[in-house]
Amino acid sequence: LNAAPGRAPRQRVRFLPAPAPGGGGALELVAARVPVLADHPLVRGPRFRKLKIGAGHRLDVKASGVFVLGIGHGNKLLTDLYNCHLTKVYTVGGLFGKATDDFSDTGNLVEKTTFDHITREKLERILAVIQGTNQKALLMYSNIDMKTQEAYELAVKGLIRPMGKSPPIITAVRCLQFALPEFQLEIHCLHETQQYLRRMVHEIGLELKSSAVCTQVRRTRDGVFTVGDALPRTQWNLQSIQEAIRNCQLKVQTELEKTLG
Amino acid sequence: AMAGVVRRLLRRGLAVAAGPPNTRWLREAEEAAPVFQYAGKASQRKDRVFVWGFSYSGALGIPSFVRPDAGWKKPRRIQPTPYRLETEEKISSAACGYGFTLLASNTRDITKVWGMGLNKDSQLGFQRSRRDQTKGYEYVLEPSPIPLPLEKPQQTRILQVSCGRAHSLVLTDSEGVFTMGNNSYGQCGRKVVEDEIYSESHLIHQLKEFDSRVVQVVCGQDHSLFRTKKGTVYACGWGADGQTGLGHYNITSVPTKLHGDIAGVNIIQVSSYGDCCLAVSDEGDVFGWGNSEYLQLASVTETTQVNVPRHLPFKIGKVKEAACGGTGNVVLTEEGNVFVWGYGILGKGPNLMETAVPEMIPPSLFGWSDFSPDIRVAHVRCGLSQFAALTNRGELFVWGKNLRGCLGTGRMEDQYFPWRVTVPGEVVDVACGVDHMVSMVRSFT
Repeated sequence: LNAAPGRAPRQRVRFLPAPAPGGGGALELVAARVPVLADHPLVRGPRFRKLKIGAGHRLDVKASGVFVLGIGHGNKLLTDLYNCHLTKVYTVGGLFGKATDDFSDTGNLVEKTTFDHITREKLERILAVIQGTNQKALLMYSNIDMKTQEAYELAVKGLIRPMGKSPPIITAVRCLQFALPEFQLEIHCLHETQQYLRRMVHEIGLELKSSAVCTQVRRTRDGVFTVGDALPRTQWNLQSIQEAIRNCQLKVQTELEKTLG
Repeated sequence: AMAGVVRRLLRRGLAVAAGPPNTRWLREAEEAAPVFQYAGKASQRKDRVFVWGFSYSGALGIPSFVRPDAGWKKPRRIQPTPYRLETEEKISSAACGYGFTLLASNTRDITKVWGMGLNKDSQLGFQRSRRDQTKGYEYVLEPSPIPLPLEKPQQTRILQVSCGRAHSLVLTDSEGVFTMGNNSYGQCGRKVVEDEIYSESHLIHQLKEFDSRVVQVVCGQDHSLFRTKKGTVYACGWGADGQTGLGHYNITSVPTKLHGDIAGVNIIQVSSYGDCCLAVSDEGDVFGWGNSEYLQLASVTETTQVNVPRHLPFKIGKVKEAACGGTGNVVLTEEGNVFVWGYGILGKGPNLMETAVPEMIPPSLFGWSDFSPDIRVAHVRCGLSQFAALTNRGELFVWGKNLRGCLGTGRMEDQYFPWRVTVPGEVVDVACGVDHMVSMVRSFT
């Protein structure tokens, strides 16, 4: 970063003595633009000695996926994005037949159960009911008076969302793959933690009269940032980072204007 | 000295060091763990009944709400969320009247119908009191069998039950329709007896004279409607609002065939709960008659009472099902759209309080979205001032006036747009009353 050409040094107008155009000897003050010495690279030193990097929504050690970071002035946008309360999308993989103490497959085994009675329809029924109860929670925690016409209009458009603190809410769940004993879900949620998603996998197992552990939690979308915008490990260099920032700028701007006005 | 002893024991292999658990040991322990089975491959989904609403009339069928049977229990006047009702048999049909409920099962056993709630007009038949064998109960607090005078009690099956303000109808598959309760307007289909005392009455009337087998019975507030297999509609009872549809405003004590715009039309469904009636034909047309004070029939006439069935020319598509409430009506079209009209809380926010022309409720309020585009409303039901809709995923949505907690949302406020009721199961059917509701639910697994 420091090797890149920096800002041009500031210029200021100074009155410098210069030999008069007329005859020799007399000195006159002539206005000239000169660079400010305080801006000289040898005086200032390297432009960047440390960078302020802020993190967006938390991502567990055991989880993977899109993780939003803000650099320098971008940290201010991070708080605004947090206040937008946009949904995040996770791909959660689960395994039937086991129950562990921390709900993931690396924990201590608590119980093993049979799972051959589980079918895709039963799973989808449970997912429908989860969606239903969370939909109710969505409307309740959004703190709008249900008796007003605007509450009705927002509910029709599906724009009601809790804009403050709320417990984790799941806006949509869908079963992507189902091959006993493994299954994969796509979960859209708000204000959640990855441990809550693992706990949900465990509770789905309990509802189906069996048990389940979570094998994989991968965040595929965080608000406006998708896997396509995210940089993999091999691209963690200055060039790609700068390009990624440039590509996302417009998206972030429009989303902030739309939500926060 | 202790450390030295331990080290010597370790070297001799007598004590085992407690270090990080060996992965091989963990794996072997895991494989050796016992496997529990909670549900076998042949596990069936169970059928349950959930009730909610006003409980002091006994209509919910849970006696401990009215007369607590344990010291710590308090009387519960209102049950705001669904509460499970234990039944002996699988309930196939339920109906909520004005303060009482009827549950019917499709079984061949002798006991096929149970009733609970108000019994001041013997709308639940004669319920012999245990304290005094000559008297009957005025309030029945738990589901009690209703003794029907069946000719073949071990063969006849009950198809459907329906309840009105103070009378009830029971439809059987081979023995016609049984009616009981108040008959001051002839709503039970028998001649009105002056000064008849209806409470503690043993009289259950049987109706068999129709042009073909009766396939649906509907109770309005003080009148009864019968729909036959041929598609004709019969009516009896109070007619001052024209709800009998027979061309006059007098009471009728014998079921009489309706004509008007439905003559010759194959009607596939009738509905009524207050004083207005709707009928749906097999072609998807809607016919209405009865009270029109709340603009229910204002699309065809300015009069407030219509005593002959009139065709309602709505351009909303082919209608599949209709339901009438006290002041508002709702229909469901073949595409799965829900239309409401009438007066009161119709479900489109507090601004829409009355309309004569059907207005559609946006499907996104029933859970339809880009994420789940195949959600569709499958059934609509009406209480006196509440509406209920069942989706194809088994979710129940309610809206309307929340009289004594009858909506089941857990809150006591009126609901101006469809709101999900959290029921632990897939809702198969729901019956709406004035201040309580009963739902038949299948468990998930």
